Amino acid sequence: MAEEEFTDINGNSISLDCQTHSAFCREFTVNSPKLSLRKVMVYTCFIWIFAYTIFYFTENTAFLSSAIIVTLIGMMGYIHFVKVDRETLLIIGSLGVQLSSAYASGRQSTTFIEMNKLKDIVINEAVYMHSIIYYMCILIKDPADPDKVTSLVPLFQNSKPRLNCLVHVYRSCQEILAQTRLSMKQDKDWKTPEET
Amino acid sequence: MGHKRRGHTLKTSPSVDTQRQSGDERSLKHRICMVSDFFYPNMGGVESHIYQLSQCLIEKGHKVVIATHSYGDRRGIRYLTNGLKVYYLPLKVMYNQSTATTCFHSMPLLRCVFVRERITIVHAHSSFSAMGHDALFHAKTMGLNTVFTDHSLFGFADLSSVLTNKLLTVSLCDTNHIVCVSYTSKENTVLRAALDPEIVSVIPNAVDPTDFTPDPRCRDNSKITIVVVSRLVYRKGIDLLSGIIPELCGKHPDLCFLIGGEGPKRIVLEEVREKYQLHDRVRLLGALDHKDVRDVLVQGHIFLNTSLTEAFCMAIVEGASCGLQVVSTRVGGIPEVLPSELMTLCEPTVRSICDGLETVIAGIRSGNVASPAAIHRKVQTLYTWRNVAERTEKVYIRVCKEPVLSLSDRLHRLQNHCGAVAGCIFSFLAVLDFLFLLFLQWLRPDHLIDVAVDASGPHSRLGQSFSKKKSKMANPTLSSVS
Repeated sequence: MAEEEFTDINGNSISLDCQTHSAFCREFTVNSPKLSLRKVMVYTCFIWIFAYTIFYFTENTAFLSSAIIVTLIGMMGYIHFVKVDRETLLIIGSLGVQLSSAYASGRQSTTFIEMNKLKDIVINEAVYMHSIIYYMCILIKDPADPDKVTSLVPLFQNSKPRLNCLVHVYRSCQEILAQTRLSMKQDKDWKTPEET
Repeated sequence: MGHKRRGHTLKTSPSVDTQRQSGDERSLKHRICMVSDFFYPNMGGVESHIYQLSQCLIEKGHKVVIATHSYGDRRGIRYLTNGLKVYYLPLKVMYNQSTATTCFHSMPLLRCVFVRERITIVHAHSSFSAMGHDALFHAKTMGLNTVFTDHSLFGFADLSSVLTNKLLTVSLCDTNHIVCVSYTSKENTVLRAALDPEIVSVIPNAVDPTDFTPDPRCRDNSKITIVVVSRLVYRKGIDLLSGIIPELCGKHPDLCFLIGGEGPKRIVLEEVREKYQLHDRVRLLGALDHKDVRDVLVQGHIFLNTSLTEAFCMAIVEGASCGLQVVSTRVGGIPEVLPSELMTLCEPTVRSICDGLETVIAGIRSGNVASPAAIHRKVQTLYTWRNVAERTEKVYIRVCKEPVLSLSDRLHRLQNHCGAVAGCIFSFLAVLDFLFLLFLQWLRPDHLIDVAVDASGPHSRLGQSFSKKKSKMANPTLSSVS
């Protein structure tokens, strides 16, 4: 329900939206800032000035038209494949975790991780570009061998929130995971005497 | 002026801490970053020194992190025993596990480590480590206190040592404190780097006496075994060894050699073995893991070290700790390592070492040598890591009181100490480094770098999270990282 202001690792402000649907179901949405007009203008101007300089020396109009095409395709590709507006983590205690990200063009991509594959959700550290950052990830286990971690799924990859935001999400997730484990354990305890 | 102040904002916070807590020096806890190119999984003296020292400092309640370059796919952040955090930074290795010195490419990552761990003291190890020198250079630019430990001796004559000595002069002229492993090494470093001896301390290495315990049952008492464990390189005097082997084997038919280690000089020993038909008496074991060294040592009666130059010989302490009679050359810092009743010193010539070995062999035959257990008891108390950590702590306390040089003082020092040409070049580099730091501070301000969760030191979360893990089931709200 609450919407709070946080920043990502580069200092841009992002907002975290937590919705509690029930005790076992929560939804976290990280909203990145919208595509800024200034950024579009700067890149467009840069490409066009570059193209015009080449045109000035070669007097070949192909450069100008290719600059227009490059700008258009670049912008479309950027909003369709790169720019993520919203990243959502939906955690349902008995079912699993759904990760979805909405691109600026409206495209949605969604993945779902079953509860029996999920080992834990942790905050980890990594070297990223020229700095060291905290990120959140899901540990995937092999259902056959529950102690082994087979792979990692990083969360909020595009928005990259800072530690204080991650801790907030982490705590809520751990609450739900712990409750789920507790109820699963109770189920087992209930079943075993009946079976025997 | 305004720029300068911004560059040194980092300095103010630790020094405020120092002033507040100066009433009780003992309770002052430091946040130390050890930097060296050499760390595990690479094996050697420097690596184990850094690891053991860090462990003892953590035990004393300081916060310690280690920065090194990545080894293969071991990159990123790892935790070792007791929350010792290791940063394996993805820097390119140039030669012999040492990174390239470009002065600048390591700056962004090292700055990030120093800022997020709120480091107060940067401690670099080994003069062969380019990353260590880089870190010192950047730490001084960032206004942090610096300590350097030198682990090796150098000559003065050949071209490579002239160049390294110049680099060392530049790197150490504005470092707060330097630690050497023996008095010979101190003398050598002071001469090489033209330092004030006041700021150079001597803290020897140590061995873990529980790792090197004697076990006389492993010996074959029907013959006398001489053990040599070292890298088979020129510096370790392998050519001397190749002269000794045929001479002694000729005289004593019950003598055999056990040689552990690998290196370019192995071929020399193999030739000797071939020429004198000594296959059953000279065994070459090849490269040894550190954990296997003890098992080799306890098989012998005599430990032989033929080094031509050595700052502080760990091997002879390990040998003596396993209860062996030690015979060594009298070079470098070796005479100060063990008391004279525990080892026999010889000149680095075949004749002299043979004489030394003969006396020891005669002693063993007549039975008037100290028992392995007695030798072990004596050595046990000589070098312990706790003692090393205590002395290092004193260095840190002293360093913390010293001011960090401002940029103008640093430039003065560089130009006065390092000669006209090198002084100017490195002053220029220092200014460039400072501008680069300002650029990085603009690109990614300090307040945007998340402060790391401490895994060791006074605010360590590690012990707490262990207890939390146990109580996770009972109270889920407690199970959090921060």
